Amino acid sequence: MTSLGKAEFGVSTFFAASHPNDKCGANGLPLTPNSIKVMGRFQFLTTLHHPHLCRYLDIAKSKHERMLVVSEYYKSTLLHHLQSGKYSSESKMVSLAFQIVDALSFLHSRGITHRSLSVDNILLQTENSVKLAEYGMYYMTDWGADVSFPIGSVRYMAPEVLCSGPAEVDEDTETCVQPVTGPKADSWSLGIVLLQLFLTLSKDMLDLLRLCLTVAPSRRPSAEELKKHPIFREERQKSVPYVNGFTMCSTKLRCKDLELPSYDDEVYDPDHLSQRTMDEVYYLWRLAGGELEAVLKKAGMAKTRPPIHLLPCCGIPDGDVFGQERDQAELLDRTIIILPQDQLRNRLKDIPETAYYPLLEDETSVDTGQLPTSPSAGDLTQTASLPLIIRERDIEYQFHRIILYERLLKAYPYKRPHIWKEARVDIPPLVRAHVWAALLEVEGDIEGIYNDIDKETPIPTDRQIEVDIPRCHQYHELLSSPTAHTKFKRLLKAWVVSHPQYVYWQGLDSLCAPFLALSFNHEALAYSCLTRFIPKYLNKFFLKDNSPIIQEYLAVFAHLIAFHDPELSNHLDGIGFIPDLYAIPWFLTMYAHVFPMHKILHLWDTLLLGNSSFPLCIGVAILHQLRDRLLSFGFNECILLFSDMPEIDIERCVQDSIKIFCSTPKSATFRQHARSNRKIKTEDRPNLSYYSRDYNEQPQSELSMEPIAIEELKAEKCPRVSAEDLIELGELAGTAYSRSPTKKRQNSKPMILIVDVRRAAPIMIASLSVVRFRRGMVPGSINIPFMTAFSPEGDLSPCPAVTTLNSRRNQVIVVIGNRGRNASNFANELLRLNYSRVCVLHKGIDVLKSSGILTVAPADI
Amino acid sequence: MAGRGGAQRPNGATQGKICQFKLVLLGESAVGKSSLVLRFVKGQFHEYQESTIGAAFLTQTVCLDDTTVKFEIWDTAGQERYHSLAPMYYRGAQAAIVVYDITNQDTFGRAKTWVKELQRQASPNIVIALAGNKADLSNKRMVEYEEAQAYAEENSLLFMETSAKTAMNVNDIFLAIAKKLPKNEGGQSGQQRPPGLRLNNEQNQQSEGGCCK
Repeated sequence: MTSLGKAEFGVSTFFAASHPNDKCGANGLPLTPNSIKVMGRFQFLTTLHHPHLCRYLDIAKSKHERMLVVSEYYKSTLLHHLQSGKYSSESKMVSLAFQIVDALSFLHSRGITHRSLSVDNILLQTENSVKLAEYGMYYMTDWGADVSFPIGSVRYMAPEVLCSGPAEVDEDTETCVQPVTGPKADSWSLGIVLLQLFLTLSKDMLDLLRLCLTVAPSRRPSAEELKKHPIFREERQKSVPYVNGFTMCSTKLRCKDLELPSYDDEVYDPDHLSQRTMDEVYYLWRLAGGELEAVLKKAGMAKTRPPIHLLPCCGIPDGDVFGQERDQAELLDRTIIILPQDQLRNRLKDIPETAYYPLLEDETSVDTGQLPTSPSAGDLTQTASLPLIIRERDIEYQFHRIILYERLLKAYPYKRPHIWKEARVDIPPLVRAHVWAALLEVEGDIEGIYNDIDKETPIPTDRQIEVDIPRCHQYHELLSSPTAHTKFKRLLKAWVVSHPQYVYWQGLDSLCAPFLALSFNHEALAYSCLTRFIPKYLNKFFLKDNSPIIQEYLAVFAHLIAFHDPELSNHLDGIGFIPDLYAIPWFLTMYAHVFPMHKILHLWDTLLLGNSSFPLCIGVAILHQLRDRLLSFGFNECILLFSDMPEIDIERCVQDSIKIFCSTPKSATFRQHARSNRKIKTEDRPNLSYYSRDYNEQPQSELSMEPIAIEELKAEKCPRVSAEDLIELGELAGTAYSRSPTKKRQNSKPMILIVDVRRAAPIMIASLSVVRFRRGMVPGSINIPFMTAFSPEGDLSPCPAVTTLNSRRNQVIVVIGNRGRNASNFANELLRLNYSRVCVLHKGIDVLKSSGILTVAPADI
Repeated sequence: MAGRGGAQRPNGATQGKICQFKLVLLGESAVGKSSLVLRFVKGQFHEYQESTIGAAFLTQTVCLDDTTVKFEIWDTAGQERYHSLAPMYYRGAQAAIVVYDITNQDTFGRAKTWVKELQRQASPNIVIALAGNKADLSNKRMVEYEEAQAYAEENSLLFMETSAKTAMNVNDIFLAIAKKLPKNEGGQSGQQRPPGLRLNNEQNQQSEGGCCK
């Protein structure tokens, strides 16, 4: 990663060519606006790191297809220095020339032709180091096809460029077909630049120039070949291979060749911000209130003409118009305006130096749930309790969070547990892609794996993928670009071909979209995240016959609604509004099909911390938010409501989901099709099992939950819980167990009430006939025999046990019976009477026989 | 208020009769099923209409002489894989629109398959309409009007070429269906809804007793 150093941020602007009104592409859809195409292509430029290239940082679009491009910038150019006559020694010049050739050869190796190289866009970082600017213009505009002005200045243009006509665009692919200038045009431009640089020419230099200025491109050397020219002999020896910065998922030895920085008090630089990466500083610059358009306007660059001036003179009924006056502003203005950094530096000036270098080893502070490493922890904790949207706009808060996360990610996977804990507070948008990958435990040579997958050979699924992609999250500026569509297709194909046991179901596209949007320039990362996400949350959902999996999921969801909101459950059940009718797109896409991107990101920030049952809780939370409306609606209104997902407050939804998750016994959401048998490194995530581990991934005993036939699951209205959960929640065996997420305050009463619905039988004890349970009963349970529990009207017949039941309605009610259906039927009746949190002990009283907790208590005589 | 109450009962006064019909849309994905419904129900058109997963539901009322016809529209997912869901939507439906894309011959083939399936498995007197959508793209036409019309006549289907984008024939095709539907029985589809999801309907169709019709 390139740090800021002495660089400035520069913004320049140009117009993408606008399409004629209503023109449609081959597929009948309107042509993609050129601005969107440019934005898509631009993303690749942001990945280029080279010591002699200015970094591209950001692109934005504003009205009338205006583009704003932000890049690294330096005030002095080679032109200034030429004019000042500073360069007299040829060796210095040769060194600069070599840097240019090196940068060009790097660009060409990545498929980029500069085409506008000239002395005024070769910037000087220091007197001895150049940085090329504007090199991405030709590439990002699809070889000039997306703009209506020529790229490059005539003086430096190679002959073949001067001879070529305007760019042509293919209607089907919406990409430039011809004429595309090859990289050798840059060799020519370089020749012209060198000609200006060197006043006196040595023999070697003359030879180099002659090579550069070869008219026929076929015989002209490429930048790579020029690097080998004798004149650069010394420079070649000096230049060390450029090592790219840290990558998170790699099998490379990250400490190999590591040079520890030497700290010299003499060169101590108090400008700590300059040590941060450009991307980070630019992100903070925007948080500090920086606005590109405002900067341009202040410099008098973004004058917008009143739209009335742009009206055509005449139009014909077909919709064709004539006589628009061409706006001068549509031509390229190469001025670059420096983004002032004072506001940013001012906002950060009170931050102590130490905050730039947080210590991570203080694990104890992590456990307290405080933000650990900031000196001003008090303030930050306060900020941490503010709404997420405010936190994300708070520059000081983001500053601390980003620095902390950046350090943690560098130490991934070693620091994974710490990342988990921090993610429970929040995830800064700038580092979200990598934090997600960390949460999904992405590791290893992800590039290698992704590159090995055949993403090109046609497969039968292609047609479906092709019709789905242009409909998936197309309001999103990046995802709607042709570049995104290409990447999208590759990702989906990669998943389909490398998971032969699964098939492409519509919805997989939506699921993939958040990962692509986040890791736009890192397909391998997006792919790895997707491949980790699916087995964790959607195990077997993409089987060709996924019916048993979806059935089970929906049945458990129905139980969960009944458990938490009996009134709503009864109403929806009564009108026949079953989850099957509305919740399939929710679960199949983990809500990615029903929410806009910004909401999905916030939802998944938390979803990724939960286990595979957490999404069910989100579903209940959504229903909860719409509760009043649903209760007053009939079937038609309900289903209409969900045909277009109504506005949901995501932060509230997330908080509600967590509450629901924490108050649900873990076995109540048991699903036999959830992922199981995965090897887990237990030491990785201490104390996180509550939230992140799946039930199926933990040791099983005879007291655990077992698979239930789907018919049975659907026939029952309340969830079952395992004996294990019963013992734990009822604190029947001390507090040693910790498998359930359900937490309770200390010294409070057990959070469950056990209702035994068996009928006690008279047995003989010491020659007395007493009413007892032959198998014993659970201590603390109350007895309401099912047979006599309900009056003919369907109400609970009053008795002391019912009074107890009614006085403890906020507790989880576990119904215990014998083998038969009584317990489940009793639970259904309680549900009908709007008792909440009702569940049934799986396998009834028998399961507890061997547990040793059953007591033969004195019967009520 | 009182007047309206009376009109809501189909068996009330003859004037202002209300009939409710269940209508299902079928067809290959991306032919424009959801767009047709959106145009008909809300008068809107989204270029990038999102794909439908499972099914969506909307209602719209049209007036026909003295009768008010209320359509309950089930808009289904087009992907072949979701095929197993379809019976739960078309069972008990009084009308179906089978949609294809006039710029894509394959979608027409798929439409024919749907028609066959409906004739075999749906209610015997279901009114089926065939819609050749995307008529605004006639310069890219791959399915000839005459070909589709001949097929529709053979199978006694209503037929129109439609464009959800320009709204051409969208209301008309729904109106034509409304006209063809029998109004005397009062079209009581309101109470019939999918009994529960059987993603694998083939196996369960017969054994399930609780289905609509």
